[in-house]
This record gives sequence, C-alpha cells and structure tokens, in this order.
Amino acid sequence: MADSPGYIGRLRMVPKSLWVLVVQFAVFSLLVPNFFAVSNFENILRVSSILMLASLGQAIVIILAGVEFSVGSAVALCSIVAVFAVQSVSVPMAFAAGFVIVLVIGAINGTLIAYAKLPPFLATLAMLMLVHGVASLAVGGLPIEAPVSESFYWMGRGKAFGIPVPILLAAFGLVVHYILLSKTTFGRQIYLVGSNERAAHLSGIAVNRIKFLGYVAAAGFVAVSGLILTSRVASGQPNLIPNLPFETISACAVGGLSLAGGRGSTLQVLVGVLIIAMLNNSIVLLNLPTAFQLAVLGFVIIAAVVFQTTPDRFSFLSMRAAFAQKTKPQGDA
Amino acid sequence: MSEQSAPVEKAVLEVTEVKKAYGPTLALTGVDMNLYPGQVHALMGENGAGKSTLVRILVGATRPSGGAFRLNGERVSFHSVSDAIKAGIVPIYQHLTLFNELSVLENLYSFDTATAGLLPPYLGSAAAETAKASLARVGLSVSLEQKVSTLKLGERQLLEIARGLQRNCTVLLLDEPTAALNAHEADRLLEVIRGLAAEGVAILYISHKSDEIRKVADVVTVLRDGRSVICGAPLKDTSVDELVNAMLGHAFAVVDKQMPVPGEIVLEAKQMVLVPGGAPVSFAVAAGEVLGVIGLVGSGAEEIGQALAGARDILSGSIAIDGQLAHPYSRRDAVRMGVGYVPPDRHEDGLFELHSALSNASASILKTVSKFFFLQPKKEKASFSRRFQALALNPNEPDREIQHFSGGNQQKVLVARNLAIAGLRILVLTEPTRGVDVGARDKIHDAIVEATHAGQAVVLITTDLEELTSLAHRTLIVRNGQIVRELPQFSSPDDVALAMLEQE
Repeated sequence: MADSPGYIGRLRMVPKSLWVLVVQFAVFSLLVPNFFAVSNFENILRVSSILMLASLGQAIVIILAGVEFSVGSAVALCSIVAVFAVQSVSVPMAFAAGFVIVLVIGAINGTLIAYAKLPPFLATLAMLMLVHGVASLAVGGLPIEAPVSESFYWMGRGKAFGIPVPILLAAFGLVVHYILLSKTTFGRQIYLVGSNERAAHLSGIAVNRIKFLGYVAAAGFVAVSGLILTSRVASGQPNLIPNLPFETISACAVGGLSLAGGRGSTLQVLVGVLIIAMLNNSIVLLNLPTAFQLAVLGFVIIAAVVFQTTPDRFSFLSMRAAFAQKTKPQGDA
Repeated sequence: MSEQSAPVEKAVLEVTEVKKAYGPTLALTGVDMNLYPGQVHALMGENGAGKSTLVRILVGATRPSGGAFRLNGERVSFHSVSDAIKAGIVPIYQHLTLFNELSVLENLYSFDTATAGLLPPYLGSAAAETAKASLARVGLSVSLEQKVSTLKLGERQLLEIARGLQRNCTVLLLDEPTAALNAHEADRLLEVIRGLAAEGVAILYISHKSDEIRKVADVVTVLRDGRSVICGAPLKDTSVDELVNAMLGHAFAVVDKQMPVPGEIVLEAKQMVLVPGGAPVSFAVAAGEVLGVIGLVGSGAEEIGQALAGARDILSGSIAIDGQLAHPYSRRDAVRMGVGYVPPDRHEDGLFELHSALSNASASILKTVSKFFFLQPKKEKASFSRRFQALALNPNEPDREIQHFSGGNQQKVLVARNLAIAGLRILVLTEPTRGVDVGARDKIHDAIVEATHAGQAVVLITTDLEELTSLAHRTLIVRNGQIVRELPQFSSPDDVALAMLEQE
C-alpha cells in the first residue's frame, strides 16, 4: 500500500550532511598524514564523546524550537560539585551528585521556559551567567584538584572490553537518544510541540509538561558529558569548557537540524559531531595553530548549512532525476 | 449618482483581471473594478476574499502577478507606496498614521516633510492658509497648533483625510474608516465623503457594514475567493440577499441529508460570558444533533467554538457535559472528555507541517496507540486506515508529509484526527470546508452526518450558508457576542442571510 521509496527515494532520505561527512572523510584520508589509522579513529571518537553527548541534549531542545546556552556552565558546575563531593563520599556518589546538579539546572531552565514563558534564548543565557557565577564563587575562581584515584579517572580515561569508556557511553547515549526520539510517545510529542505549539495544544498534548521534561531529558545527556570531562581533567573548574554551547549548536546545525524546531534526527547529530571532530583532529595532525580551528569551524558551519538548505534542484540526485526526465521519450498520445 | 447610468465620464482608475500569487497560493484570481470621478465605490467581501491584497496592490505596497492597472487611461505600475501617493492615490487606513505628539499643522505637512530640504515645509503664512483650506474641506474646525493627541478619534480620522486631500488626490481609498467611530462621528464622516465625491474625487470605500454602504456608496464590487463576483453594480438595483450570497458563496437548493432525530442533551452552556462586558449566552446540544452557529466576522461565533473546545477561558457561566460540570476546562481536559475541535485556521492552529499525514492525524490519540512509553506504529496506522478510506484521502499515503497534500486533504486529516478521539461525544467544527474543493467538502459533510448517526453532538460554526442549512437541526445567529435568533431546521439560506443582517 505505502509507496516504496525506491533507490533514489531511499538515498534522498539520508541526511545531506552525511554526504559532507563522506567527502570530508575521503579527502582527509588522502591528504592529512596519519589521519587514516585505527588509533586516530579511536582518538577522534574518544575526544568527541563529550561533544557528542552534550549535542544529543542540545538536539532535544532545538527540536523543541528552543536553544540551550547554559550547557557549558552546567558542565563546569558539575565538575566542581563532583570534586567537592569526592572529598567526603565515594566516587559513584560524587558523580551522582554532579549528575543531579545538571538535572536541577535543566529543571530550572524547563520551568522558566515552559511555565514562566521566558524565551529560551533569554532564559538559558541568564542561566549561563548565573550558573557560571555560582561555580566561580564556589571555588573562589581557581580550579580545585580531585584526589588521585583510579576510580575517579575511569569514566574519562578507562577502558571496558578494550574500548575507551567515553566511546561506550557516547554509543549508549546515541542508542537511548534514538529510541527516545523515534520510538517513544514522549519523542513524538517533542516533535509535535516543536513543529506547531498551538496545534499541539489544541490536539490535547500537555505542551508545558513536554517542554519541561524535554529540558530535563536534555540535561541528562549533558550531565553524562560533564562527568566524562570531570573524570578526564580530574578537577573542578569554573571555566572548564566555555565554548560548549556554541559547539553543540554548531554540531546540530552542521548535522542538518532546523533551528526553527520540529525536525532533526539522532543520525544528524552523530554526523554533525563527527564532521566537527574530524576537522579539529586534522588541524591538530597538521600542526596548525589552534586559533585556526575556530576560523575553520566558522567556515564549515556556513558551508554545511548553505549546502543543506540549498534547493533540491542543485543537488546531484535531483540533477540526475531531471536529466532522466529530459531524456525520456515523449508521450506517444 | 448618475455617473453609472451615464458612463461617458472616463474611469480614473481601471483594474482589469488583476491577479496576485504568493508562492503557490493565489490571493487574487482575477479582479475587475473601475473607479469614476465623483463616484463612491464600495468594496465588500469576507475576510480572506482578497480585499486587503487588492488594497496593497492599489497603494503600491505589493505588485500584481498579472492583469492591468490603468490610471487616467495610462498603464501604470507602482514600485512603492510613494509612487502611488505621487500618482494621487491616497489611502486612509482604520489604524491612523498620524503623529500624535505633533501639531495639526505639522501633521498636515508630514508627507512633504519627508522629502523637504533644510526648512520644514509648514513655515509661513501661505502654508497655514493651505492647511486651513484643507481642514475646511473636511469640515474640521480645530486650531492648527493643537496636538493631535488632544483630538477626538473622529476628528483624527477627518484630519487624516485632510492630509491626503492636501496633496493632489484623485482617488481616495478608505479601509473600514468608521470601525472605531461612534454613530455620530460616523455619520459626519459619511457626509464628508459624499461632499468630496461631489467635488469630483473618486472614492473606494471598504466596509463590512451594508447599511453604511447603502448610505454612502453609488456602486459596489464584491470579492470572493480572490475574484470580483459583483463588479461595479449600482447599489439601488442590488438586494441585501444578492450581496450576502455574493460574499459568502452561492445559495444552492438545500440538499436533503438523512439526519437523525436528536436524542438526550449532551452539552449545555449556561450563561457563558466570553469577553469582558459581553452578554451571557446559553444553549444546549443533543446527541445526534447538528447545532449551526453563524455570524459575520467578529460576531463572536468563533469564540463560542473555542470555549466549547476548552481552547478559551470563559469569564463566567458554565459548560456541562452529560450533566457534569466541566471545570476546570482546558483543551486537554476537553479531549479527555471526548470533545473534538477543528479550528478555523488549519495552518496556524492545526497542522504539523513537516510531519506525515498519519502523525498529524494521531496527535490526539497518542496514548491510545502507545504501550507503556512506546508508540505502536502498526496500531497507529490501523487506527486510521478505515477513516482515511472513508474520507477518500487522496493520495491515500499516510506516510506522505502533510504539506504535500492539497488544502482539502489536509482538512480531511484534521477531521480524522478529531473523529478518532477516544469516546468522542461532541465535535466542534469551525469553517470545516473553507477554501476546500467540492469533493473534499462532500466527504467532510458525509463524515459529519455519520458522526451524528453514531450519537455524537455536532456544533458547526460556519459562514457557508449552504453547508449550514443542509446540515443543521437548529441555527443560532450570533451578533456582537450575543445569540440574537434561533432558526429551525430546513430554513432557507435566504432566511439565514436576512436574519444575520436584520437590524436590532
């Protein structure tokens, strides 16, 4: 009954950003020395796991037609809380405390946006500053070191089944994210609210509750990202990763999520993060100054988004389809 | 008023077959209209008929996609609003464009100030004399130094006209000029308009109010669905019925639908007040009954629908469903109690643009098609396969994105969404077939009839007289937020039209 999409149709359903990733991978493999190596791939995945998990959270918020600027501050406070806590409780308990503090920040964001009706941009920007201020005050502006402990390092530096733990956590996060968005009722409601809030309300969807829970769920992914980073640097720092909000938004945009909300997939987030991670990795491999990284990243965001929002008629597949149409023999009527 | 009978006078403005497309949607499909000097030309039409698009074209705010546009016999095309003003087309909008903190004199010269050099154009006694003459032309006696904020609304309206006249004004375009005025001010304005016409100005007068139009206008053009359906007809030869039929659509012979006999009362609204200071409304709907509600735009008919659906707070009074008081009553509560709602604007309030027809349809029954926290795609699809077939969804591809369906098929999906609500008791539909093709309209009407046979109570809020009279068991006429009359089943469209326009 349903029309089968056919070969071209199925290719069309693949996010355009995947083509960017494939081309980028091929070019870097050929041109960047030491890029094409299993150890380098592992390195890319390990380093990108933090951005991956935080971007998965950001994606939920973006699909809800919102945006989350406080992720960087939240991760910083997470590190400080965990390092403070580990001085008096066990490592798992300390990490649980770090996890909870990020969820609390997510819940505050959700409350401000869903119930107090603040614009997401404003609410999360204010939370960025507020949480950053709290984090700085808590440590008097200076980083605090975690006591040397193998169990504290495990999440960021350890291995399980021969695979780095951050990679396993990112993979687990991707699976959870995929199931949440495309298999659950909650995920469907997130898309509907992001697509047309008024229509969702009139359909009987609890719009406010979905938004609130969306910000909390997003915070869950950000929290895991924060714990990996805390474990890796083994310290609590107020300025741990100030660019995280911008990097996560960039990853979502490069992957092809619409910042207007209502659409986007887990696969697109994965692709967006990998594009940025491969880029950063190559800049390091080429021994280019890190300042270079930011400039190139800006360029890539523009290029990737322009490429994806360009009308279909310019894309390779449509050109082929149009060509096939033209060369088709005229009707014999 | 003799100009129409003696068309020797040349039209100052000729509009022929003007079209306007916004992307794939056609706002104007072909409008003809001729304005003659000394004639007041009324322009009528329901909201969405294309009046505002036509005005935007006339004042140079947007350019037509087709058709011709002649001023004094010469073909013109305006690139901007200032082009149109230079050509002598002066628009007066219902929201005034005066500068409230400046004086009457400064306001009269505000167009010239925009293009003046170093010195403001209103200095000197000559400027003051001209200004006084303009005020006299509209019969306005205020001091030139007075701040506009100290003037009454009616005076401001006249000042706005005086400002337009001070330029060379060949066509005066008035968009609902009396909307904010009281009866006395309105009468004075109409007198001024007649006076200006006598001086030879061509006037285009846009209004919903048919009594006002009868007072002031010579001829009338009616737009419907972007087309001029009545074109410059003399008002004295045009009946109210003809105007209403032209505005709302044809009044076909009533098609006999097999409607059931209403049963028990399902929904009862008691002393419901919807706007501050509004009159309370009370009515009841029974199982298997279609209650029609009709009123002109702004009459409060749509608000009644919103309140019944839980989409609007009621200020006082109550809504009871099956004898049980529904309070608090949010849209979510309403869905749970089995109240479906098809809103008037399907794009703003109904559709999830990037989603499939199926996920658009299932939005109100996500709980029913889920198990624990997970959606059941097979169950979701199965819930709608019969319904989509009955509504003849075309193409019947539930996975296709909603934006790739025609307006009629999008509307079918919205109807399906509400018919699927678990334990549906009441179905509130607002303009369910507006902008929908005939085929889809029939299918949606069939679905309404079927719902009544299944014992559901239907509230049908529509300005489509044919739809209303062929389906409704009873019809409530709403004016100024009040139910002014109730008409029985099988009333003719003419009865309804007359009841709507009756004066209090």
